[in-house]
Amino acid sequence: MGTTSTMKSIKQFNPKAYQRQSFWRAAWKAISRKPGRLVGFIIIVIFTLMAIVGPYLFPKELPIDPNAIYAPLSWKYPLGTDFEGTSNLALIITGARYVLLAAALGALFTVVFGTVLGLVAGYFLGWSDSVIMRITDFFLTVPSFPLLVVLSTVWNFGHPLAMGFILGITGWGGMARAVRSQTLSLRERGFIEAARGLGLSPFYILFREILPNVSSYIGMNLLTSITGCIYAEVGLFFLGVVPFHVNNWGVMLNMAVFSAGAMSSPSALPYLLSPLLALLILTLGIVLFLDAVDEMFNPRLREDA
Amino acid sequence: MKDFLIRLVWRIFSGILMVLAVASLTFFLVRMMPGDPVNAQYNQLIMQGMTPVQAENQVKVMYGFIPKEPVGQQFVNYILNLLHFDFGQSISYEGVSVSHIIVSAAPWTLVLVFTGLIASFLIGVLAGVIAAIKRSSPFGTSLTVSGSLLHGIPQFVMGLLLAYLFTTLWPLLPFGAPYDSSIDPGFNWPFISSLFSHAVLPVFTYALSSYGGWLLTMKSSVITVLGDDFILASEIRGLKASTRVGYIAHNAILPLFTLFTLSIGFMFGGSVFIENIFDYPGLGNLLLKSIDTRDYPLMSGAFLLITIAVILSNIITDFLYSIVDPRIRR
Amino acid sequence: MTNASSANMENVIEEKNQDMAISARNINVVYSTPTGQIPAVRNVDIDLPKGSITGIIGESGSGKSTLIMAIMNAVTKPGKIESGSVILDGKEDMLKLSTEQQRKIRGKKIGFVFQAAQNSLNPLRRVGQQILDLGRSHDVKDLRALIKYAKELLMRLGLDADRVLASYQHELSGGMRQRVGIMFALVLNADIVFLDESTTALDMLSQASVLEIIRELQKEKKLTIALVSHDIGVIADLSERIEIFYAGEIVEEGKTDDVLANPQHPYTRGLIRAIPKISGDIDSAEPLKGASPDYKTYQQPGCLFYDRCPIRTDECLKKRPDLTHIGKSHKVACFRVGVHD
Repeated sequence: MGTTSTMKSIKQFNPKAYQRQSFWRAAWKAISRKPGRLVGFIIIVIFTLMAIVGPYLFPKELPIDPNAIYAPLSWKYPLGTDFEGTSNLALIITGARYVLLAAALGALFTVVFGTVLGLVAGYFLGWSDSVIMRITDFFLTVPSFPLLVVLSTVWNFGHPLAMGFILGITGWGGMARAVRSQTLSLRERGFIEAARGLGLSPFYILFREILPNVSSYIGMNLLTSITGCIYAEVGLFFLGVVPFHVNNWGVMLNMAVFSAGAMSSPSALPYLLSPLLALLILTLGIVLFLDAVDEMFNPRLREDA
Repeated sequence: MKDFLIRLVWRIFSGILMVLAVASLTFFLVRMMPGDPVNAQYNQLIMQGMTPVQAENQVKVMYGFIPKEPVGQQFVNYILNLLHFDFGQSISYEGVSVSHIIVSAAPWTLVLVFTGLIASFLIGVLAGVIAAIKRSSPFGTSLTVSGSLLHGIPQFVMGLLLAYLFTTLWPLLPFGAPYDSSIDPGFNWPFISSLFSHAVLPVFTYALSSYGGWLLTMKSSVITVLGDDFILASEIRGLKASTRVGYIAHNAILPLFTLFTLSIGFMFGGSVFIENIFDYPGLGNLLLKSIDTRDYPLMSGAFLLITIAVILSNIITDFLYSIVDPRIRR
Repeated sequence: MTNASSANMENVIEEKNQDMAISARNINVVYSTPTGQIPAVRNVDIDLPKGSITGIIGESGSGKSTLIMAIMNAVTKPGKIESGSVILDGKEDMLKLSTEQQRKIRGKKIGFVFQAAQNSLNPLRRVGQQILDLGRSHDVKDLRALIKYAKELLMRLGLDADRVLASYQHELSGGMRQRVGIMFALVLNADIVFLDESTTALDMLSQASVLEIIRELQKEKKLTIALVSHDIGVIADLSERIEIFYAGEIVEEGKTDDVLANPQHPYTRGLIRAIPKISGDIDSAEPLKGASPDYKTYQQPGCLFYDRCPIRTDECLKKRPDLTHIGKSHKVACFRVGVHD
């Protein structure tokens, strides 16, 4: 036990510049350590590429083919076709942009709202803390998915930004609470007291001294909130409470189950299974990759240490 | 004891405030809606040939307030009605009170989610302990992987997959509806067995999608406790293995206890997808249907009940926890 | 050479005459870390004569706690006992007993007060309940008498016994928990007690009083005590024999008076010189030069203390010195015995 603690104290002595450079190297090391993590990483990269370039690969209005309604799998239609004869693969690829962009924005809003409010509450305490924490309690108490469903009656989710914003608004509570408690404990540490003693401005202390120390937590949560956001938005489209004017995997699921009756008519099955498959593969990728992220941000979890 | 009472009163007071906050949210949401549904309802009733007074009264029964009144007065009326457990009257089910509809929907959700919750909790916690103790063996690792995968799969994907597997690919179980509509409901064997077989898939979906979370939480809790000094101490003091396991289990399960009671609160709102996929007449489905049919009083009522359940369980959790954990007691 | 061998002979006779409570031979403990295997304890022989207090001293990370855990056969991962034997009372080998037999010895025959004794209690059970758990685990018939004895011990340790028994860990202060830890080590009438930095966390006054009580109890019950510390003052005060630990090896051992009056290993001398004296000039206390050993230290073939040694020669870099007799019971592991810096 004693020897390992000596080891750790030696490692901490690295100069800062060296650490910064080695983050990416350490990240790559963590990813490539296990084949599973690499697979996860590749899956995520492929889906990201799909979201970025996907819509440019196909015409704006996807071609329909009245002769190939619910066509089986073929070279022309690798994942079959839908009720209009549109290729399911094309639907999945073009749909990835909205799904992933809205999720990324949702996670970004969640993290930004949560971090800023948590930092402010935990650092300034007093009335700002009580007000922020009351609001946080409110958002933590109200079940967020039913709230999203209710909000869908007044909010237009047509643009990914609108979707991301609402996902952020309903989801930041847990993040704010965690950041606040970390800020509270950091506040009592020597270096923050020293910075306050030097008369540095609160905003300098918050964003230059405290923020870097909670950044590992934020990094971890960014990825988990992305997954949460994907499920929530695809779920909203699947339930059909959001108007269907954008292409989304959830829309495909909804049409497949409730209009095409994919459960009972085998010909429509590919239409149901392709978005399911896309979600499953993405889930698998994220789960596998999370393992590596865990290790990157939380060295205590390293198995061999 | 006095502190306990003060805290209880304070918690209940802030719980009521929370309910009021949610009620005002739904109130203003309905007022904000494009096309003002309250006014629209009023105009529709006039068109149907009602006198203004009749229409006004009808709207008041449905929404709890009169459209012509100032917003402040409407709000006060709405809240006063809520305090009498009057959630208004449904629009789509004509003449039926909202509270009646949600009260008859709640048991479906309750039974469905509660069964799934208990099953997943018991199995997940057990698997989590094994995954923690055997974490360096292939068996333990595969348990953890199964947990993270199941935890990662969204509930609706899980539901659709299970539905496809067990009703289409291998038609073992019925799909959709809470029971076979050709059977007369009543206390007879065919009806009960139909109820049961129709509940298997929804319950299983719920259990499977929450099992992973319990497993992962329990695993990390056990690992944390195993690293505590007092566990090493109990080993070096030569305590019996059974006593030590008891120490570990007791300490590791405490944080999960809170989560469990909290999930009981979240269960009313936690099965929207499952009820939708399997066409189960619970609260989640009611919420969706009310939005579909623009039945706003019903929507507000269902959403309020879902939230009140969470608030109640928060309060109960708080107090139960202070009973089971001596460190909080005081 | 003849001198040394006759000293050896005498010593063998002495060791045979005195009964050993614990006699450990050739203990090797290795820690597996990402940077490789680190020998935390290497080829250590140690004897604890019955009814005596032995002090084990060394800096943090020198492996002294690991050695104690190895004697209990309770080394935790990633550490592993590679070889060795621990003979109890000249009879059984602790490292070869079944798990159940080992369990019965731990706590009952060997009491242990932890480095982290402050957190050695189950936070969810009252102290009294935990004493009963301990009693039941060791098949104590008369639990009422056990509680009575626990109360007596707590009272001697200066605590309000009834209050402590009814308390949870979080209701006791750090010093109180430490004393409760000592009570747990003694309540089953163990005749061997390990104290691993047990008083380090206490303030000077409570440390002194706790050490005084330990000394009394030791005399009264003829306890065999091994006292692990990095505080040479505590050990000089209490122990009859002393073992100086450096980088997983014993570098000097003997009667406390002999070793402290006539230290032979440069590390021992450095340790003694590093003690500030209340009456003297503060500058007369010299800190030990150089850094604590790290994983690179273990990889070279020479003396582990080479990097920090003021009297090193090139020979020291080639081979590691063995522990050899230089007096009746005084042993040193150094090639340069007699050379002063």
